[in-house]
Amino acid sequence: MTIDYYQSKDHAPIPPKDADVMTTACDYCIVACGYKVYRWPANGKDGGMKASENAFGIDFPSNMLQEWVAPSQHNTCTYKGKKHNVVIIPDKDTNFVNTNGDSSIRGGLLAQKCYNKDTKTKDRLKTPLVRINGVLTPMSWDDAIEIAAEVGNHVLQEHGEAAYAIKTFSYQYIENTYAITKYALRHVNTPNFTFHDTPADVTSTPGFRDAGFDNFGPSYDDWGSAETLMICGTDPYETKTVLFTQHIMPGIANGMKVICLNPRETAGIAYIKKMGGLHLDVFPGSDTLVLGAIARIIMQNGWEDSDWIKKWVNSKWESSSGFGQGTRNTPWQWRTTWGKFQTKGYEDYKKWNLKQEEYDPKSAAKKAGIDVKKIYQAAEWLAKPVNGKRPKTSIGIEKGFYWSNNTGNTNAISSLATICGAGGRPGQVVGRFGGHQRGGQKGGGYPRNKSAQKVPGRRRQALDTDRWMYSGHTRFAHVIGTTWIQSMTGSQGLAAKFEELVVKNPNQVKSNNKADIIATLKKRADSGGMVVINQDIYLRDPIGAKFADIVFPAATWGEVDFMRANGERRLRLYQAFSDAPGEAKPDWEIISLLARKMGFDGFDWKTSNEVAEEASRFSRKGRKAFHMVKVAAHIEGKTLHQKMGEMGTDGIQGPTMYNYKTGMLYGTKRLHDTTVGEKQFTAMGLSNGPVKENRYGKKMTHFNSQTGKINLQKHPWSLFGDLWEWLSPKKDELWVSNGRVNEVWQSGFDDVERREYIMQRWPGNWVELHPDDAKKRGIESGDIVMMYSDRVPVFKDTILGVHGKDFQFSELMKNGHIKLDKASISAVVIVTPTTKKGAMYGNFLDMKQPTNSLTIRVPDNISGNYNYKMGVAKIKKIGESEFKKDFRGMSFAPRNIT
Amino acid sequence: MSDLTKEKDQSAQAHGKCMLNRRKFLMYSGGSAAAASTVSITLFAGTAQAETRKASVQGYPRKLVAKLSELKDHQPVNFNYPDEGKNSQAMIVKMGNVQAGGGVGAKRDVVAFSYMCTHQGGPLQNTYKHVGDQRVMGQCPLHLSTYDLRRHGIIVSGQAYQSLPQVLLEVEGDNVYAVGIMGLLFGRQDNLSA
Repeated sequence: MTIDYYQSKDHAPIPPKDADVMTTACDYCIVACGYKVYRWPANGKDGGMKASENAFGIDFPSNMLQEWVAPSQHNTCTYKGKKHNVVIIPDKDTNFVNTNGDSSIRGGLLAQKCYNKDTKTKDRLKTPLVRINGVLTPMSWDDAIEIAAEVGNHVLQEHGEAAYAIKTFSYQYIENTYAITKYALRHVNTPNFTFHDTPADVTSTPGFRDAGFDNFGPSYDDWGSAETLMICGTDPYETKTVLFTQHIMPGIANGMKVICLNPRETAGIAYIKKMGGLHLDVFPGSDTLVLGAIARIIMQNGWEDSDWIKKWVNSKWESSSGFGQGTRNTPWQWRTTWGKFQTKGYEDYKKWNLKQEEYDPKSAAKKAGIDVKKIYQAAEWLAKPVNGKRPKTSIGIEKGFYWSNNTGNTNAISSLATICGAGGRPGQVVGRFGGHQRGGQKGGGYPRNKSAQKVPGRRRQALDTDRWMYSGHTRFAHVIGTTWIQSMTGSQGLAAKFEELVVKNPNQVKSNNKADIIATLKKRADSGGMVVINQDIYLRDPIGAKFADIVFPAATWGEVDFMRANGERRLRLYQAFSDAPGEAKPDWEIISLLARKMGFDGFDWKTSNEVAEEASRFSRKGRKAFHMVKVAAHIEGKTLHQKMGEMGTDGIQGPTMYNYKTGMLYGTKRLHDTTVGEKQFTAMGLSNGPVKENRYGKKMTHFNSQTGKINLQKHPWSLFGDLWEWLSPKKDELWVSNGRVNEVWQSGFDDVERREYIMQRWPGNWVELHPDDAKKRGIESGDIVMMYSDRVPVFKDTILGVHGKDFQFSELMKNGHIKLDKASISAVVIVTPTTKKGAMYGNFLDMKQPTNSLTIRVPDNISGNYNYKMGVAKIKKIGESEFKKDFRGMSFAPRNIT
Repeated sequence: MSDLTKEKDQSAQAHGKCMLNRRKFLMYSGGSAAAASTVSITLFAGTAQAETRKASVQGYPRKLVAKLSELKDHQPVNFNYPDEGKNSQAMIVKMGNVQAGGGVGAKRDVVAFSYMCTHQGGPLQNTYKHVGDQRVMGQCPLHLSTYDLRRHGIIVSGQAYQSLPQVLLEVEGDNVYAVGIMGLLFGRQDNLSA
């Protein structure tokens, strides 16, 4: 592990008064802070120190919170073929999200993202590449597209749609995701399709969906205006920093009580504790137990919000209602047939909860490894009325939580939230805090009936693309903007399978003749091997560098106009301000070239705006419906992108409404808002119902169920308990959980390999280990350790479930569908009390040593999602890193010093 | 060359006014600072990895900021540098015998840093902390950034996109002089123009 040492410059240019100014938002985390881009010719004059001499209109040195250009916020790029200066700093004028012009460490370094051949971005992909004699060789767009189209069509004809896998980002801008999903789902029409973060096209939060909660209903104001906020499975300071600093922190200052449910204590949680908050530092995967116990205490004390429950919780008949709707014919239908989740309403849920031994607070606290008093304390804060007044409670969750026991945890939290009266009112909301931004817009429906995978009950389940590939059914893998391998669990085993199917197949391209290449790749697919094509901005290892037969260079943020929403559904235009490197094209254009070559119609777009305008009508059902912005734009004689650009960093929150009489556009502050009244409808011109193209769906004022009320669900521990008990550390094993850090969060694709400052802070793989666990093993901060396990369970087969328990872990084990893989990774250890004793916390997405190698590849038996946070391993010292004794990089200071 | 205090050519007399073209700081950072305003420094002095790098000190004033004998463990002493203008608040601290990158004194535990958080200029006064063998400044009262004082002010956790500017120190007898800054002070376009 070595790094280039970087020393910050001690000067930076200020943009001149006449610099071009464009708005954009950060490319990384869900919060999407607003930024301004200042651009002026490289040979032009820089701005001066006086307000009259610079683009900010302020005197330098600037004051606290004013505009300032850090050296890393300046870069040079090419615009219309000419060299320009660019300065990218947070927008001090924005009214929302990063109010005050706040910024994260990631967004603060956005200028470094720009392609500049004199920086570490020089390896951006610039031309299509085709692997010949093992070497990725530049090729023309025409030839590379023709090869991909010929082989792709051959696979479709000879082996069927399910042999054509498409694994793609779900978020990298509306224009791209629309084009990709239109291609994948509507035209290729393959069930062998999924997004970057799931093995199958399944929901991230099954419990929310079944209860009727949208993932992103709340507005950012809501997270600061509760009286008690419960945060599960994340430290928002680490992973949605500005949501924390601009919205949650002011709430805490106003007396908001915060409860954190998380194995780890990082800076935000330490701050919360310092301010009087509560930390439930549970063992990985034990959340459901604690939540069930909290709910029990609330119900036993009669602290539940009975008015809310009476009005908004479905009875038995209500939860079963609807023809072709409701729970009878939704993706959860096959689950309810088991009777495992559905309740007849509140009393039924209460009866069930009180019967479950594991939700006894003492037993829950013991298994979770926490003080039982904390469970009682949490229950009081969440629901106990003070002087006859209920606390306003909100609940937010994220990956540490829903990737631990996907169905159980999300069911349990939905029920707890409902009992507390959270969801549907200002400051009383339920939602995800979010990870990546929301740039998904489906251009086709998932062909569920083509999936070869079926669980007990009637319906088919979305195909697990990892298991399908692992069983050798995928002949053509089309991978777009994701690593596939490292980002899935049991990564080392997946990589070995790719190697076997792609590299070790005897049909390897040895000629640069186009016809020979096509013939060879067809033979590979026909012989049971796999052909890989990859679209990305950088060559990723191994998916691109080792496995791809064809690589297409993609253009990205700042190079093409794109639209995307953040975690409160706020849509913005991310404006282009520099040229893309070489011949790189946006993913929508790559897809359009490929689709047309394959003979598909409807891919004749010329601009990014044309794609967005086509996508708009498909957005109308969704939470970020932007169709009415297009309607308004056209009435005003503008394009959709122009209209979005005018709204700058403030943007507009979806779903959008348009008053045809006043010409005003309206965003939606929160979904499921039961307090919306006549006044708002009148303003929108909708007092007599939807007008023209406006669509005002149920989710605006009600919940996402047939009746519009909430389904209060059971959350049986037994569905997960057998796996949890089997996995629990044996002998000298420790839990392995993982995640990311503030400095690298939704930015790994740029930061860890190219941002000098970030590379200095995090030069390689790392793992946090509790001081007691370290001492016992003779390990100190800075040592290099090996984490290893021969207990990585892998569900290896695509099966058709017949009996009720067929997908239960213990049954899979008994029936021989689970294989135990071995895996080992190395890392520099940080000995710190921030991680719980008995649990290691590793770096989620290290490209060379992914902690995911140690996590279980057994999808949640209900949802089909992975529980990425669950694993066990032993740890031993194998040496000392250079960072142990010198001070050049990394830091071993704990993140929870306040 | 293992102890700066014994180096004759480190004296103020030999030094003139920060215009020497060779100087030996015990500093562990290096990199690609612009050549026009740099002097040579020695990295990892006294170790097998010793190498000469450039550090930006040209043009910086040499200012007496403390006396070694008067520095008490964990009690920062405030000073202004490189001038008395805006955003020049800084502190020097003896970190209780815990060695640090860029540290001077017999134990290499005396360091100096800007008080201005490089994120948005928040005041870091009164945020110096020592826990075990860790030494940090933070959390910044504005947005909670924390910096590692043993490692040239690198971010521990938080939002800043560059390290806390470290004031380069030289020792002559009992006197400690500030002679340069690594990194740009918040709010400035150039450290030397205010």
